[in-house]
Amino acid sequence: MADRTANVTWSGSLTEGDGTIESVGSGAFGPLDVTWATRAEDSNGLTSPEELIAAAHAACFSMALSHGLANAGTPPDRLETSATVTFVPGTGITKSALAVRGTVPGMDEGAFLEAATAARENCPVSKALAAVPEITLEATLA
Amino acid sequence: MPRIVREADVAWEGTVSRGAGIVRAASSAAFALPVTVASRVGDPEGKTSPEELLAAAHATCFVTSLGSELARAGTPPDRLTVHCTITMDEVEGVGHRIVSSAISARGVAPGADAASFAQAAEAADAGCPFSALIKGSATVTVEAKLEGGTDG
Repeated sequence: MADRTANVTWSGSLTEGDGTIESVGSGAFGPLDVTWATRAEDSNGLTSPEELIAAAHAACFSMALSHGLANAGTPPDRLETSATVTFVPGTGITKSALAVRGTVPGMDEGAFLEAATAARENCPVSKALAAVPEITLEATLA
Repeated sequence: MPRIVREADVAWEGTVSRGAGIVRAASSAAFALPVTVASRVGDPEGKTSPEELLAAAHATCFVTSLGSELARAGTPPDRLTVHCTITMDEVEGVGHRIVSSAISARGVAPGADAASFAQAAEAADAGCPFSALIKGSATVTVEAKLEGGTDG
């Protein structure tokens, strides 16, 4: 069992206030400032819940794909993954779009797409985001 | 309301057990952090993980919703502190799953009382998009306490 933690503070109202991701359990990052304006409009260098979800999804997917490829006897040299999360205020998080480019010796496009599809279905963050209406995937070999 | 789009990317090299990746905030460039499988499921050793990034996302989403609810009630907070713990467990037959997200909130909000603060926390849980999402697959708990309130 793995517990992972984060601490965030906030002062003031939604639109005029601001917050800080003070720390995370691992100590890997923080403090990081957050505001509503930078969440909803231009990021201006500040992260947001949606960007953190994108980071979590891209990292989880990459690990699952690497695992699947290794199990199939074709471990990757390199995977480059991006996740793009779309949030519509009032509606919610509507989409996470995964795109991966892999360097995988001995693998063809069809098998790579199959492995990537399995990683999208099975990685724990995909499972946690199962209520997101659209989780799309593009997979190509470098 | 317009669509809000945020992007992150990961470069991963090697197999799961011996490989490592760098996860980067592509929209904001606010962070670029190493990740490995060993530090994800075992001791973090100073490295973040997908679950920790989700904990940061949920805490941030919840704290903005709570601030918004308190402001709507006419009692904008001087300060809110939210702690989130995401638990991933090995579920028999299906492998690793994110099973729970536990939110703990503390706040100083002049004019709010224990009951109105609890009500705002409940509304924040209902309104935070991440809470709504993860409830489909995991247990979300919220514990909220007003500090220095009129009756607390």
